[in-house]
Amino acid sequence: MDSDSVKKTIIKQALQATNTANARTLIENINEKCFERCVPKPGSSLSSSEQTCLTSCMEKYMAAWNEVNATYIRRIQQEIGNQSNM
Amino acid sequence: MASDLTIDQSDIEKLNDKDKTELRQFFANEEHRSRIQSQTHELTSICWKKCITPRSGGGALDKTEQSCLANCVDRFMDANLATMKHLASMRQQ
Repeated sequence: MDSDSVKKTIIKQALQATNTANARTLIENINEKCFERCVPKPGSSLSSSEQTCLTSCMEKYMAAWNEVNATYIRRIQQEIGNQSNM
Repeated sequence: MASDLTIDQSDIEKLNDKDKTELRQFFANEEHRSRIQSQTHELTSICWKKCITPRSGGGALDKTEQSCLANCVDRFMDANLATMKHLASMRQQ
């Protein structure tokens, strides 16, 4: 391998690792929050209404994640702007 | 596939200065991105409890939830800054 392909391999593997870790944390949090919300009293199997609840809860959690992420990034940029104005 | 090869010490030594600099920059950016992502996970978890009621419907966020989440993040940051400010003033006493 030459320098360029070593670099590209390192970048690719690093991105894969962080993206996997990020997805894993997201899934863990979705499971925790949506299980609590959709399966208050666990029965002998998941009912169809529990399953529907889990699916929509998951979609909602992802939408919430995106909203929080956008607000957080906007706020950080604002703080950086305030700092450089001082 | 070449990209699936594992990188060892002898590969690292092949990196020229330009690529080393680029990699350092890449990792600095990644660290920043990671920190923002993990803070987002934490904030989403905190604000979910405050803004998403058990009775609210699934799927997309409604307007109330959306503004609650945005306020939640902003006020959390305000609280964070207020704590830091107060800590700083305590240290000066």
